[in-house]
Amino acid sequence: MQQQLAQLVATAQQEALAVTSRAELEAFKARVVGPNGSLTAVMKGMATLSKEERPVVGKLINEAKRSVEELLAALLLKVEDAEISAALGTPWDATLTGPDAPAGSLHPLTRTRERILASFRKLGFTVAEGPEIETEWHCFDALNTPADHPARDMQDTLYMPKAFRSADAPRKGEEALVLRTHTSSVQVRTMLSRKPPFRIVAPGRCFRRDAVDATHSANFHQVEGLWIDRNVTLADLRGVLDFFVKETFGPDAEIRLRPSFFPFTEPSFEMDLRSPNLGRLSNRWLEIMGCGLVDPKVLELCGLDPEEFSGLAFGLGLERIAMLVHGIDDIRHFYNNDLRFLRQFA
Amino acid sequence: MKVSFQALSRHVDLSGVTTDRLAEVLPMLGLEVESVHTFGLAPLPLVVVGEIVSFEKHPSADRLSVCRVDVGDGNPRQIVCGAKNFKAGDRVPVALPGTVMPGGFEIKVSKLRDVDSAGMLCSSEELGLGKGEDGLLILTSQQPAPGTLLNKLFGAPDTVLEISVTPNRGDCLGLRGVARDVAAALNLPLKPLTVKTAAGLATAPTAHDAFGFVRSSSEFCPYYTLRTLKNVKVGPSPDWLRRDLEAAGLRPINNVVDITNWVLLELGQPLHAFDAAKVSGGIEARPAREGEELVLLDGKKVKLETGICVIADAQRPLVVAGVMGGTESGVTNATTTVLLEAAWFKPGEIRRVARRLGVSTDSSHRFARDVDPAGVELASRLATDLLIELAGAEVVGPAVVVGQPPRADANIALPTGYVAAKLGTAIADADVTQAFQRLGFTVSSTSTGFSVLVPSFRSDVTRPIDLVEEFIRIHGTDKVPAGRPIAPLPGDEDTRSSGFTREVAIRLAGAGFTECCHYTLRDAAEVARTLGEAATPQLALENPLTADQSHVRASLVPGLTAALALNVSVHADPRGLFEVGVVFRPQADGTVREFLAVAFAAPAESLVRSWKSREAFDVLRAKRLLSDVATLAGVTASRLSFGVATGGLWQADHASSLVDRGRSADGACGVLDLRWTRSLGLKGSIVAGEFLLPRSTFADALRIPRFEAFSSFPPATRDVAVIVPTTTAAGEVLNRVQQAAAKAAGKEFALESVNCFDVFSGPGLPEGTRSVAFEIRWRHAARTLTDEEANRAMATVIAALEKGAGWTIRS
Repeated sequence: MQQQLAQLVATAQQEALAVTSRAELEAFKARVVGPNGSLTAVMKGMATLSKEERPVVGKLINEAKRSVEELLAALLLKVEDAEISAALGTPWDATLTGPDAPAGSLHPLTRTRERILASFRKLGFTVAEGPEIETEWHCFDALNTPADHPARDMQDTLYMPKAFRSADAPRKGEEALVLRTHTSSVQVRTMLSRKPPFRIVAPGRCFRRDAVDATHSANFHQVEGLWIDRNVTLADLRGVLDFFVKETFGPDAEIRLRPSFFPFTEPSFEMDLRSPNLGRLSNRWLEIMGCGLVDPKVLELCGLDPEEFSGLAFGLGLERIAMLVHGIDDIRHFYNNDLRFLRQFA
Repeated sequence: MKVSFQALSRHVDLSGVTTDRLAEVLPMLGLEVESVHTFGLAPLPLVVVGEIVSFEKHPSADRLSVCRVDVGDGNPRQIVCGAKNFKAGDRVPVALPGTVMPGGFEIKVSKLRDVDSAGMLCSSEELGLGKGEDGLLILTSQQPAPGTLLNKLFGAPDTVLEISVTPNRGDCLGLRGVARDVAAALNLPLKPLTVKTAAGLATAPTAHDAFGFVRSSSEFCPYYTLRTLKNVKVGPSPDWLRRDLEAAGLRPINNVVDITNWVLLELGQPLHAFDAAKVSGGIEARPAREGEELVLLDGKKVKLETGICVIADAQRPLVVAGVMGGTESGVTNATTTVLLEAAWFKPGEIRRVARRLGVSTDSSHRFARDVDPAGVELASRLATDLLIELAGAEVVGPAVVVGQPPRADANIALPTGYVAAKLGTAIADADVTQAFQRLGFTVSSTSTGFSVLVPSFRSDVTRPIDLVEEFIRIHGTDKVPAGRPIAPLPGDEDTRSSGFTREVAIRLAGAGFTECCHYTLRDAAEVARTLGEAATPQLALENPLTADQSHVRASLVPGLTAALALNVSVHADPRGLFEVGVVFRPQADGTVREFLAVAFAAPAESLVRSWKSREAFDVLRAKRLLSDVATLAGVTASRLSFGVATGGLWQADHASSLVDRGRSADGACGVLDLRWTRSLGLKGSIVAGEFLLPRSTFADALRIPRFEAFSSFPPATRDVAVIVPTTTAAGEVLNRVQQAAAKAAGKEFALESVNCFDVFSGPGLPEGTRSVAFEIRWRHAARTLTDEEANRAMATVIAALEKGAGWTIRS
């Protein structure tokens, strides 16, 4: 009996070597443990044995059964492995270049804009927008720059023809429409439509009648800021700008306010920046933006009482900041859209 | 404005001040220093006078001469020289070996074409003295001894600071004004200005004057003075005067003209000198009459705009007032009697006229910035002093005046604490008072604060807030501390469009597109391609700078397409590109509206070769992307309706237009016109999409979604296939199925969805037709729908669809 069982197991082990598919596995399983299987036959023979023999033979059968079950389990694993390999196909070579397009990227001006807006949002400034084609009144007159003001010489303006009518900036009477020379016009629209206190930043595209070269562009982008409240002071201006500069250029950056002139602020300043981390422009005073306290005349023109309210305003050029932050030497790169440039900011 | 350090020193004692310090002080006063350069001969210890003893032609170079030069050491040396303007015996500057020239070039003993040369003979330009005559600087007439240091023949060098003066600071267009600010900043006294010619103005000419009358009938000339100077000897100016003019960048002409220019530089007050012999009768400031013409000093003949202020004699206009003189009445070498004009003209008008004439002169630049009325007579007296001294002129009485100075010193009431309140920091009254006094303002105390008397040379200071600026300029901006901490204001939000602009860019970049940025200004051809020829003029600018920047853009797609072409040409492996920006579209009502546009473009087949091919970028993906963009903007898919894109940028039958039914937003997507993209050098087809959002899209507050209860019972689902002519758009069939299925549900239950799951044409279907199949899903809110209900509904749908012309139901 013992010999018969050993022979049975040995045969099964021998036959198992030939099993490679699930069908063969099922057939093999039937031959051994199926209703007519070889092991099943031996087990059926138990009934004929005496009471004394049964425990001995039972033990032997159980051992054989365990061997066969182990064999079947191993075979199942082997067959499943084969099936999985077949389903997955050729193994993966992780060193091959991925054929899919890499993620795209944001334009450096967008990145710079969002970074700047984020730092002003921390100070409670929210984003405001306005039309790119503006009325002369919003662009100049309301900003204390009437037609015969010498400051109008400072910027050469692109005009729309007399017949042009804008759905977004209806004009009054015969005034001209212009491609806005700054986003300060958004400040005017905000003052006219909202009640103080408010703090806004207005990012947007502006235009000058400039020939294009390494530092000039027919259009460029500004971020202008305005804070109107009771008792807004020069100290507040310094606090806001100091915060912005340290956010954008790091904690080592310092600022100075250099007296200047803009028709819409009084006093007016150019804000200069000095930082040890700007490559070849390090440790030099660099002009970054114009700023000042809102001229009382502007408040008045925009329907606010200068006795009650005061404000601060500032305006900076996105291109200028992006050029400083990234060390870009030619403003035209921003508008050429050469991917060898754009991909550097991914 | 060029400021000579030496000239400035005439007005304020700068003996303890270096030019570097001055260049630091000026910007913090608001006078930006654009450049600093040396004027005159810089110290050059190895440049000496040499005598050219003899010279001969270079043996192997026609243009060079080999000179023997005596530099005073009794041992003539050989120097090769390329100039031609000398003869033997001439004295010239010699840079000995070791000299570092003002241009930074070091002189060494060397060989020129195999001939030894021990130094360099110098030209005026090489010595940093400006462009003189061609060739060497010839010193022969001065007879300096050979070996004399060249610096001994020249005065000490000067430093000239080029400063940019902001439009409000007309007073700093004269040295005296700059000196005043410098003196205030450094707390130095301003030196007094001494003028010998007596003050005082006459109201009418005497018999001795060379003019019979002075009048003003122009509103733009409220104040005019004129005086006669006889026996004037016109000739060259003395060296010091020429030097001052040259340092300021002006060319000396003759003593009379030079004196008027020098006074202009000194005081900022333009003067004009007439030749009395060419003036008939008298002088009148009057409006130009219709048809009058004038030949200006620059040789241009101009038709005078009627009404502008001209200075005329009894016969004709002589000068465009304050802007430019005419050729006929100017001072020449033959002039003996000079009429000297000093006046005040209305700034705005001068600016307008100068712009109109397309000229900007030293005179118009200053008048446009409001000269000091109190300085008019002073300038006339100072010029008279010099004409007497330098041109032997004899003065005839006082100047004759018409009109009144248009403004005087201004009194500003400055309330106590005003300056501190604007600064946001405590300031002592004494500091405020002292700053104003240093600027030449007179301060007195009043019951409410101060009264500040601002002299008329500071026309820009009229209000208390202007005094705050004056104070901070002198006090120093670095003394203002950073202000209070700031808390956000509750309820303030960014405009929705700005949030969309940011989010859509992130979304598209995440989808593999690279963001571009193109100019708004485009050429006419591009706008015509986008909108058609007829609409193009509506987007034209009035005054474009160049023909390729003559219109505002109507679409972002042409820019992106050009960028794809560029990146193909530079082998930068372009994939998808996108842009977010404003475009302009003519509207039916005749206006032009601004749209926030989002556009993308990509080659249909990747231009980058790969070992494994990937899914192409096709119109269906473009449509999906565009719908996503719309959803992000708050335009839900159910509001969008797709139609046929016609012409323009798009390829017929392979592009679709897109309309937002709720608003005026619209867009398009599909394949770009192949002939066009091929003409740009793009071989395969380009798939693009653009969505245009008017500002009104973002006007509403963001909708907060409201919860709607949904059924917990299963739906009833039925399929229907409709055979329609191939010319019938699938969208039309879908609409009909939706309508019919909704109607079939009635009020009892509801249509949940209609989904197109199959489109088929071919065997088994009649020629020219196709089958479009839909799955319809109905659901009841409170129970399971019965088969009978669903079948009844389906029968209604089929009946409705069979009414479609040429439509049959596939069974």
